[in-house]
Amino acid sequence: MKKPDLREIEKNTYMSYHQDGLIDIFVGFYILLFGAGILIRTVTEFSTWFIIPAIFPSIMVPIWISFKRRITIPRIGFVKFGLRSANKLMAVFLGLTVAGLGVFMVFGLGGSIGHSWALALMDLIISNSMIIIGISAGLISSLFAYTMGLKRLYVYGLVSLVMFLVGHFMAIQFEYFLLTIGSAIVIYGLVLLRQFLQKYPLSRGD
Amino acid sequence: MIMSQLYVVESADFLFLQYQLQMTPGNLSSHLSKLEKAGYVEIVKEFIERKPHTALKLTKKGRDSFKEYQQKLKQVFSGLPK
Repeated sequence: MKKPDLREIEKNTYMSYHQDGLIDIFVGFYILLFGAGILIRTVTEFSTWFIIPAIFPSIMVPIWISFKRRITIPRIGFVKFGLRSANKLMAVFLGLTVAGLGVFMVFGLGGSIGHSWALALMDLIISNSMIIIGISAGLISSLFAYTMGLKRLYVYGLVSLVMFLVGHFMAIQFEYFLLTIGSAIVIYGLVLLRQFLQKYPLSRGD
Repeated sequence: MIMSQLYVVESADFLFLQYQLQMTPGNLSSHLSKLEKAGYVEIVKEFIERKPHTALKLTKKGRDSFKEYQQKLKQVFSGLPK
């Protein structure tokens, strides 16, 4: 007799629902657009990069849901996750928002205080921004990987960390890293989607 | 297995359960009707975009019974020599 491991079952359920690669395509596309926005700004002086993270989720979330409805649900069915999963994700989002506000306040207060220590701290942060972004990307990806049970997000976090560290020491421009990482994630997502479509063809009259 | 799978989610449809549990439609259907008769599973048949859809969820009785079963299993396993 084997005791059912509910955590494992819950994790497998979550993973099977996201094996279609759609989440990878959308996250990769987001990073790609962000990188493209910064590149456009440096080339044309047209500041678009700050608009992208603001409008992207509101446009892309409905598109993602519609893709899920058209591609995933007819093939593997529909599952509604319980409040516990939703609460865990909500806690991560709230944590990240608080952390983001904290960083914003540090910068805001640092600038307004004008103390030498605050300015020195800001200089330190700015001069090591690639390392900080790399570590943040690694931590955020790992946090989502742990919460959602998607192991490939650990890999994305690790790749981002390594690339930003390399970028810092080799003085390569930030936007090229975003474009590379975004493209890699989109391509991997497309590979997953292709595998998913082959594994689960529409053959049951659904 | 059906009970464990439904316990970790709020609801799932027939197709999803079938893939997750690797069961044939007939096999799954017969297990589900037994669970429904026992009052453990609620089966909601509906039409979504003119297509038949079967949503499944554990009833309160089913959830409580499964919890109880889990606790009993825990006691059995903790009583075994290591």
